Amino acid sequence: MILWRAGWRHMLRHPWQNLLALIGIALGVGVVTAVDLANESAVRSFRFSATALAGKATHTIAGGASSLDEEIYRKLRVDLGVRSCAPVVEGTVYIPGKHSLRLIGIDPLAESSLRTFSSRFPGKGVLKKLIAMPYTALLLPETSHRLEIGKGGTFSVETQGKRHELVLAGFLEPDNDLTRTGLEWVVVTDIATAQEILALEGKISRIDLHLSEGTEGDAVLKLIQSNFPGIKITPAGARAGALDRMTKAFRLNLTALSLLVLVVGMFLIYNTTTFSVIRRRRFLGLLRAIGVTRTEIFMLVFAEVALLALLGTAAGLLFGVVLGQNLTYLVTRTINDLYFVMDIQDVRILPNSLLKGALLGIGGTLVAALPPLREATAAPPRAVLSRANLEASYRRRAPQTAVVGLIVLIVATGILAVQSWGLVGGFAGLFLLIIGYAFLVPTTVLVLAPLSRPLLSILPGPLGRMAARGVVVSLSRTGVATAALVVAVSAGIGVGIMVGSFRLTVERWLESWLKADVYVTTAGTGSGRQKPPLDAELVDRIRHLPGVAFISFTRRISVETPEGPVDLLAMEQSRDTFMGYRFTEGTGADAWAPFSTGTAIIISEPYAYRHKLHAGDRVTLPAPGGTFSLPIAGVFYDYGSDAGVIAISRSAYIRYWHDRSVDGIGYYAQPGVTSNMLDAEIRARSGTSSINIIPNRELKKMSLAVFDRTFAITNVLRFVIIIVAFVGILSALMAIQVERARELAVARAVGLTPGQVWGLVCGETFIIGLIAGLLSLPLGILQALVLIRVINRRSFGWTMEFSLDPALLLQAMVLAISAALLAAIYPSFAMSRTSPALALKEEE
Amino acid sequence: MKSRTLLIILFLFVLLLPLALFLQPKVKEPPASFSVADALGGIVEPGFARATLPRTFTFPIDHGPHPRFRTEWWYFTGNLHTTSGRRFGYQLTFFRSALTPAPVSRTSRWGTNDIFMAHFTITDVQGKRFHSFERISRAALGLAGAGGIPLAIHLEDWSAVGFSGKSLDTELKASSEGKAIRLRLKADGPVMLNGDRGLSRKGREPGNASYYYSIPRLATSGTIRVDGEEFDVAGLSWLDREWGTTSLEQSQAGWDWFGLQLDDGRALMFYRLRQKDGSTDPVSAGTLLQVDGTMRSLAAADLQLEIGAWWRSPKSGSRYPAHWRIRLPSEGLDLEVVPLLADQELNATTVRYWEGAVVVRDVKSGSSRGSGYVELTGYDGMKR
Repeated sequence: MILWRAGWRHMLRHPWQNLLALIGIALGVGVVTAVDLANESAVRSFRFSATALAGKATHTIAGGASSLDEEIYRKLRVDLGVRSCAPVVEGTVYIPGKHSLRLIGIDPLAESSLRTFSSRFPGKGVLKKLIAMPYTALLLPETSHRLEIGKGGTFSVETQGKRHELVLAGFLEPDNDLTRTGLEWVVVTDIATAQEILALEGKISRIDLHLSEGTEGDAVLKLIQSNFPGIKITPAGARAGALDRMTKAFRLNLTALSLLVLVVGMFLIYNTTTFSVIRRRRFLGLLRAIGVTRTEIFMLVFAEVALLALLGTAAGLLFGVVLGQNLTYLVTRTINDLYFVMDIQDVRILPNSLLKGALLGIGGTLVAALPPLREATAAPPRAVLSRANLEASYRRRAPQTAVVGLIVLIVATGILAVQSWGLVGGFAGLFLLIIGYAFLVPTTVLVLAPLSRPLLSILPGPLGRMAARGVVVSLSRTGVATAALVVAVSAGIGVGIMVGSFRLTVERWLESWLKADVYVTTAGTGSGRQKPPLDAELVDRIRHLPGVAFISFTRRISVETPEGPVDLLAMEQSRDTFMGYRFTEGTGADAWAPFSTGTAIIISEPYAYRHKLHAGDRVTLPAPGGTFSLPIAGVFYDYGSDAGVIAISRSAYIRYWHDRSVDGIGYYAQPGVTSNMLDAEIRARSGTSSINIIPNRELKKMSLAVFDRTFAITNVLRFVIIIVAFVGILSALMAIQVERARELAVARAVGLTPGQVWGLVCGETFIIGLIAGLLSLPLGILQALVLIRVINRRSFGWTMEFSLDPALLLQAMVLAISAALLAAIYPSFAMSRTSPALALKEEE
Repeated sequence: MKSRTLLIILFLFVLLLPLALFLQPKVKEPPASFSVADALGGIVEPGFARATLPRTFTFPIDHGPHPRFRTEWWYFTGNLHTTSGRRFGYQLTFFRSALTPAPVSRTSRWGTNDIFMAHFTITDVQGKRFHSFERISRAALGLAGAGGIPLAIHLEDWSAVGFSGKSLDTELKASSEGKAIRLRLKADGPVMLNGDRGLSRKGREPGNASYYYSIPRLATSGTIRVDGEEFDVAGLSWLDREWGTTSLEQSQAGWDWFGLQLDDGRALMFYRLRQKDGSTDPVSAGTLLQVDGTMRSLAAADLQLEIGAWWRSPKSGSRYPAHWRIRLPSEGLDLEVVPLLADQELNATTVRYWEGAVVVRDVKSGSSRGSGYVELTGYDGMKR
């Protein structure tokens, strides 16, 4: 009992050190939990809406290109007698200035076997209105409440630049909460209304099938396939799975970044615990000497650490929940920008995420505390009491640690080199790299600290030498602390360089990709790359303008392939523009002839990477005119989509898809014609059609804005890493100096003035800060290289140019040194206020 | 001490937080609603045409749809048998129901104000099985519809297609879950105009009436498929054609309808509209088709109807009459009507009712006098 009270007293007497350790744990746990919450919320929300909307459908007949001909559905029902199938017309509409909604057009009479929400339309006459009255719609009561629309009230939705007034005919009545969650921000209309709003007359987006398992269902599948040879039937799960997979790399990256924060946090914990044990070696030695057993000491220290772990984890979970709400918003926005439109209404606090965070926090803390614990209990009492003994052994062991570090580094390099281990191998390599490097730090401190003496010669007399020597002498504490700092600071550098390089790469890519002076697209307030086509008549009106040298057309659609949806970009552009594209395989000059004549396609780098394709291989695509296969003339750089894009000439697109529509026009001005002049010409001809006219510079700016939004979450994490690093430096160095109170008192007693003590303390922390800062630079750059060359390449298939912004390195140095100096303030202040005599009496 | 209490609270909090979050969201019971029936029936909107005056029927045009009226049906029922004497009953009905009085012009081919519903049943007397199926579809995009001369009606792959320009000679096709009919019907008698020259009153309120004719005798031959076996069958079918914009009046509970083909060549149609108090509504009426093709309208008082037995559906719990004695003294008829199978309840359909094949016997001699179909509606609430 006395033992426990002694331990407890000890904790209370060092509130600052414990608080800083707590913050370290809490930050680590908090960030991991927050990222996990955000990721899981996104996945859950997506899955709910997928299942709610797919209902019991087992298979989907998808149109892909320009959706399905509605005649297929009639044939299916009437000629083939396939019963459990339901047509869906789907699109995105916007409530001007408010929100985007997913518009689902259904045939309520065909639905009963498929979806739970659509077979029930409570309220008199709701079904009647929905089918017979144009522009009637259903919403969840919650959604209508949020949008402030009452039953029978009207609301505007906007799509393809047109505005439609909808009447709220009634409410959706999902039969369970999961479906309800999935239907938030969904507006359901009759299929006729949906076709009319989305200008999809004659087309349906897909047909959902509910087939029984076994031979009966297989027979129906065969029947459909033999009657519609060109049609693609995918199992219902596959589509949701494909979308799930699409975002997987993105989510995995976030998780890894959050783990990086935890690793940094664990280093801090390790540092704190090591320090707390080392500081009490004398005390623990005394306890051993008076007969306290090793187990009892182990238990004592272990209980302390466990308490810290519990409290830190609890605080971390709270922090994680709060941060998670904000991160979810950022994650959703990124998914919206990059992948598909989705909405997350509320962030549920998911028990699994909390559990994960708690386990990592408590487990990580205890694991990090084990080595110093063993150290404290294993040594014989006399040795424990001797401080010099300890330091000597640390110094002796430093080269051994370095050798271990080198071996780990070699292993890390080996793992990173194995391409086939994919993303997991990439992250494993990255973490080993960090750990191996950290092992090298103490030795490097031994070498570097003496070298810093000249730097400190500005300090009068022997003070500089004392400071440098002090760092080396107390390697047991400074070595670990420095390693922790290096890890923390370098993570910030690594992520920073990665984002910077990526941005620069995208900027250069936009430069080569966007060459026209003015672009015209369909108006719409939403995001997403696929836009509805421009009105054909409008295109005719604005295709010939004075002052235009030439014009380009694009049409981007999604093609359903057996491997999931693929973006297809149909382009008609001049040879010069095409030659400006940057190719990773093949050249613009060689690819132009086969591409422009429609006898070959070009594919984007991520597509090539994902599908292991190279120039010269062939790509097979399903099209309304039948499946066709074309050779790849080249692989081009593209950062617009991580799923990849297939580019095809417009002539070939029209040949295979029978679709002459365009969704983007680019105007190349003649010399002397400004984009303002073109803008005016287009406006004069477009009349009331609402289209977007975007000058080149504006489009580049918008694209980069999307990029910055995408990386907002990465920057948040980087910021958290920096905070953790800062807190870490502060706590580690402050602890070292507080512990040196007695030593400094001696210095005071032998004649050092308070000012000189300041100098000494600051000098020492400065050296540590400086060394940590310097050592973090190579590790930071190494991490950036791994992130760029291995992780991002394996996640997204993007090649990025490495670009090093010196400001980032400077920032890291400033961070390390300023935190170090800040850490010196409190101990020096405390020292200068205490009388040396009192300080000398102070015993551990 | 204080800080220790704080610690305990914190510790409990850490332990309890995940527990509290494991609580699952409750799954709500789905609200009972019956909206397709609501869409098909309910209060009559103004704007629909109503049957108020007798009209001249023009065939074959009047075999086709009358879109200005809210409800219309083509009701084929029949008693068939194989050469070896195995008996089957069948029903194939197409209902047209207008959601609004007039269609709206729309750019989508899915746009419509007409909905079609069809019921298809087979009564397998020997197998003691009754199979019933329902289909509903909008009358758009070629999914369902009626029209043309000769008349063609279809709902998805169920159809009644005329093959003669003049009379209503029709080929019926329907199949579902391995049960199928493929029958050719040829008129073997005149068109019977029910009520006042085809205007059949259903209530006291003017306009609460329908235009109603029957073709009681349609010589039928074809095939019936049940349980993987196909039977060649022949027999007699009955067509009931009705259109109007009516609904049951407040006091009315439902109706019992009889369509009986007598072996002597006569045919009897009678409907008894039941009041909620169990009495017979005086507007109940019928028609007797004589052998020479003349028709006699029957008022409620002309005919005595006695229920001899009841049957309770094990599936729905509803209680239906299951045996009748019909006396028409002026015509010397004293008939016993017995279902060929007790359970001929359509209970998985949007509207639940009993529609079944019956045999007609002479009460005194017990000898067979004919066959027919009986329809019983409005018994759903009667679960005493």
